[in-house]
Amino acid sequence: MLKVENLHVSVGDKEILKGVDLEVKPGEFHVIMGPNGSGKSTLSLTIAGHPKYRVTGGRILFGGEEIHELGPDERARKGILLAFQVPPEVEGVKIIEFLQQVLVELKGIDPAKAYDVIVEKAKELWFKEEDLHRYVNVGFSGGERKRLELLQALLIEPKLLILDEPDSGVDVDSLSIISRKIEELHKNGTAILLITHYGRILEHLDRDVLTVHVMKDGRIVKTGSGELVDRIDREGFAKIFEEVGA
Amino acid sequence: MTETITMSDAKAIIENQIEELAKRNREPEWMTRIRYKALEAFEKAPHNDPVISEEQLLHFIAKPEVEGIPEKIESLDDLPPEMKALLDRLGISEVEQKYIAGLAVQTDTGVVYNQFLQEWSKKGLTVLPTEEAVRKYPEVVKQHFLRLFRVDESKLAAYHTAVWNGGIFVHIKEGLKVPFPLHLFFLIQESALAQAPHIIIIAEPNSEFHLIEGCTSPVLLRHSLHLDMTEAYFGEGSQGQLTVLQNWPEYVHTRPMTRAKIGKNARFINTTVTLGAGKSNIGDPHYWVDENGYVELNGILLGQKDYYIDLGGQMFLQGRGASGINASKSVIMDESKVITRGIITAEAPKTKGHISCDALLMSDKAVMETYPGLVSKVDDAELSHEAAIGKIREEELFYLMSRGLDEEKATQLIVKGFLEPMLKDIPMEFLVEIRRIIELAVSGGM
Repeated sequence: MLKVENLHVSVGDKEILKGVDLEVKPGEFHVIMGPNGSGKSTLSLTIAGHPKYRVTGGRILFGGEEIHELGPDERARKGILLAFQVPPEVEGVKIIEFLQQVLVELKGIDPAKAYDVIVEKAKELWFKEEDLHRYVNVGFSGGERKRLELLQALLIEPKLLILDEPDSGVDVDSLSIISRKIEELHKNGTAILLITHYGRILEHLDRDVLTVHVMKDGRIVKTGSGELVDRIDREGFAKIFEEVGA
Repeated sequence: MTETITMSDAKAIIENQIEELAKRNREPEWMTRIRYKALEAFEKAPHNDPVISEEQLLHFIAKPEVEGIPEKIESLDDLPPEMKALLDRLGISEVEQKYIAGLAVQTDTGVVYNQFLQEWSKKGLTVLPTEEAVRKYPEVVKQHFLRLFRVDESKLAAYHTAVWNGGIFVHIKEGLKVPFPLHLFFLIQESALAQAPHIIIIAEPNSEFHLIEGCTSPVLLRHSLHLDMTEAYFGEGSQGQLTVLQNWPEYVHTRPMTRAKIGKNARFINTTVTLGAGKSNIGDPHYWVDENGYVELNGILLGQKDYYIDLGGQMFLQGRGASGINASKSVIMDESKVITRGIITAEAPKTKGHISCDALLMSDKAVMETYPGLVSKVDDAELSHEAAIGKIREEELFYLMSRGLDEEKATQLIVKGFLEPMLKDIPMEFLVEIRRIIELAVSGGM
């Protein structure tokens, strides 16, 4: 479904991704780990189509089609959703109105029906109806922001959900509900690409289904199964880098 | 401009109009004398408009450039279809059914549509065309007409005063709380006259009201210059809101002149929503605030094309504990220019003032300038200002687009959101229209 081939990406004059290869098939669950600055977030933002990230080489294919020329909205319409590491505040835009518009646009649901669906789903992520009349992310805690990202994923039901550090800046309770909802989406057929620095969230997930990649300096240097998480936990990244000569 | 209009040409034209107005309005002599006094002051009064030169002003006086509608309007059914459609879009008939609003559609011949107002007049709410108020309540009008302006302070003030016509007189008796917003629409159909409505608002002690003015007259008439003057008086403990929705077409220059005296413990919220600014829109409202009084000027300004918008606002905090807020939010597109220049002067102890100016620049050629002025004549006033001028943040736009909204829709959402906090007191039926106009403007400007 998602195929990244020898992807090179620059921001300004600086090359950040130096040839990334990655394939995510429908319904799979991939995890990308790696130290700060290894290019994890760049990869996720590039797949989602952030204009600042310039593809200088290689290809991104989604459903067999090259997408790196498409705008972020067109990629979203094809079924890609990025849950942001730090979702921005959008002053004056009420969550409910925003989500209604998204559902109307993406799924053709009528606004009144969308309203009910949103309120219902929001409860599962601990948002009360009145919370939905707050402005998008304005004054939200880390946990609230991440839960709102997950709410959007549950409503949109993307083919591919990219989660950029869903475990950073999140309280323990939020982390547990977020993990459950990620698993729920995965069970319902959404492919997951999860980026994590510390792997905190992996303690809450079933490791048997995971494919784990380790990134360093803009490349994926090792790929393995869920057990790789434990090794990184025990031995740290350095040992693995040493082993693969990276 | 092919021919030159001299000062004496202009004065002769103004004099003719005064005579015509005096006759048409069966005006008492004292009012006509005020007009003549203004005419006398016109020549020597200073003129320092940054857009309209004196020569141009004289030209406007000589040639109002009008295209009127001929029919007499006596009920809503007589309105041209486009005007009816506008009122329908604004939900006027719906509002009426729901019994939540008082509505008067005003023409220069009178208030023609005022079912609810008749009911409320018994309780002490008077809403009349200003001309009629001059005849019916001369003593009250005399005490409040041109008390906050001087005829010789500017050519525009003098010209307005000499030829004022139309406008509304609103008087709320002591303690009366009007529970619904009064919607007033100006439909001025007399074509040979300048557009110069004069509005008087008198809120007696402890009264409450919300007046919404929609300036829709340009649909009916082509005028080059619109000069309205508003004088508002707030008695002790009264609370009032004046919301002005301006949606002028591009050929009109508007110079709204608003001044208000805010009594002890009184509150005045003055919101101006300038969607269609016209060619140029320049206003410098003045507010005098007494002990513990409060005034708020909210400017929502949408600059389009090559429009020039200049919103001042002078607040004189004269009584102990008086406070004032001058806040504006501007969306500036194309090659338009917006200037805000509020001044708050603290003249009494324990006064507070704040000026804020937020602007969203939508094009590289759009210009925003802000000149906040804070003047303190006492040592314990709290005065502050803040300004934020910027473009739409890339992160916000990317975030919304990554949810499947295209650039136009995402931009519209951000712009509406930017203005939203300031639209809080505007009734829903107007909000719907305002949001629609903003959406159209934003997508047209992309």
